Amino acid sequence: MAPTSPITKDTVRAQVAEVLDELEANIGDHDDLLDRGIDSIRLMSLVEWCRQRGAEVSFVDLAEVPTVAAWTEVLSQATQDVRGITA
Amino acid sequence: MSAAANGTGTRTGTREFDVVVIGGGPGGSSVATLIARRGHSVALLEKERFPRYQIGESLLPATVHGVCRLLEVTEDLERAAFMVKRGGTFRWGTSPDPWNFLFALSPQFSGPTSYAYQVDRMVFDDILLRNAARHGVDVREQCPVAAVLRDGEGRAEAVRYTDAAGASQTVRARFVIDASGNTGRLWNQVTDDRHYSDFFKNIAVFGYFLGGKRLPGPDRGNILCAAFDEGWCWYIPLSEELTSVGAVVHRGNAALIQADREKALLELTGRCDIVADYLSKATRVTDGVHGQVRVRKDYSYATGSFVRDGMLLVGDAACFIDPVFSTGVHLATYGGLLAARSINSVLSGELDEASVMAEFEGRYRREYSVFYEFLTAFYDMQQHEDSYFWQARKVTEFGETDLEAFATLVGGVASGDAALAPEAASQRLSAASRDLTSAVAATGPMQTESGERMGTLFKAPVVASVMAEMNQIQARGVLGDGARENPVLPGGLVPSSDGLGWARRDQR
Repeated sequence: MAPTSPITKDTVRAQVAEVLDELEANIGDHDDLLDRGIDSIRLMSLVEWCRQRGAEVSFVDLAEVPTVAAWTEVLSQATQDVRGITA
Repeated sequence: MSAAANGTGTRTGTREFDVVVIGGGPGGSSVATLIARRGHSVALLEKERFPRYQIGESLLPATVHGVCRLLEVTEDLERAAFMVKRGGTFRWGTSPDPWNFLFALSPQFSGPTSYAYQVDRMVFDDILLRNAARHGVDVREQCPVAAVLRDGEGRAEAVRYTDAAGASQTVRARFVIDASGNTGRLWNQVTDDRHYSDFFKNIAVFGYFLGGKRLPGPDRGNILCAAFDEGWCWYIPLSEELTSVGAVVHRGNAALIQADREKALLELTGRCDIVADYLSKATRVTDGVHGQVRVRKDYSYATGSFVRDGMLLVGDAACFIDPVFSTGVHLATYGGLLAARSINSVLSGELDEASVMAEFEGRYRREYSVFYEFLTAFYDMQQHEDSYFWQARKVTEFGETDLEAFATLVGGVASGDAALAPEAASQRLSAASRDLTSAVAATGPMQTESGERMGTLFKAPVVASVMAEMNQIQARGVLGDGARENPVLPGGLVPSSDGLGWARRDQR
């Protein structure tokens, strides 16, 4: 599946804000998202968003370091892997 | 579109519904309720009067927080105060120390859905059946079904049953669902093909005890499964006092067990060290519904198709997989959810029948196949060089017909066409077993720092496959309309926004 938008800190932040029902401006790059209310169920929802964009990540990959900065890194890596295989 | 909720008669002695469900266990109650929630008329025919005894007492979170939320029965379950289970504890594999498979990824990620229940099925099944009636399902108990009737083109159009007064009756419906369990015989109306796995042909003997020990601390509500020379035992705490205990052994022991069930249960549990210790001060219940020692074949099987011409199979009527991972009620309620989505989508005119039935069958078969693979790997982990039971449960002992059946199952689900080659299937099972063994070793014993963290286990591909749909179902139950889901099958459908039907991806 083709990525529908590039994965950047801002697109990740926007998704996190949506599942947490918070303002994007309130979520810093390095905030621990566990403290902000991300739980396993909300994380599942984010994993599906990632897969929709061609980033094959697992729930556990994201749970390891729950920050916007770390997730952006993991997701860009995963997207490149997918492109590398399909190219 | 749908008939009035109480059905409307069209000919003498016949009543018409959108759907008739055969069987009032968790699979039947779930599918009936989820169809009634969309306003369609549903009749449910149950041969017994509830509450009635049933085995399969340990639930998974996908049932409790996923399907049961869609059934709108969460508060009833909370009121029943079932034993809370945070996972399974296993004395299984190479290490002598018990280890945990917990539902929470880690202590930090332990959330409000990281648990399930141990349930007395007399109570749980009754709650689900009453809930179906409350949602408008016409529930008729003591109504055994005699036959499924088909029209001139071979489509299921009615069911003939005997009512509580002994009179023969007919109900007509657009869809017939067989959820009549492992003793039902109607599944052969869909196909005469059912594959029984040689690998899992076990027999279980089980009873109930008062005063058995409990696992320590937060694990006190866990199911304990412990391997011993001749098989394995389950130990399920149903309340502070009552424990369900069973031994699963080779089917060759059937005659010996049947000769004296109580003696067999006590001897077998006595040879399983940890269970023998936990029962050392316990007494077996000898009266009431828990007073019998029962025997059941725990054979695993999958029927060749789950749907044909307006008739669908749900629960044990469709398939059953070895009980060591508490999958019975999950597969039944999951199958019920899938069937309800498919039928709701046809009744509302949103999607064509062929597409939604392919989605029902494809997803259901995928779920069966991932558990089949996981459980094969799980049995393969156990090392008992001198034991006939365990020797026969190594991947290398997988028979040709089992391997072919597995290859077809996996190949068909993954690619939609060709089966895997048997050698590839065998290699895949061996790899799954190696992954699982090393993940369990890395996780370590229960209640240690590493043993509380499931990251390594959840990442093992065979475990990740098993968790994928269960996690989705839970997310759906908790987030409702906010849940985001991708197709599970190549080019397949996704759940509709209410979770009760299907939609094409671009329509959501």
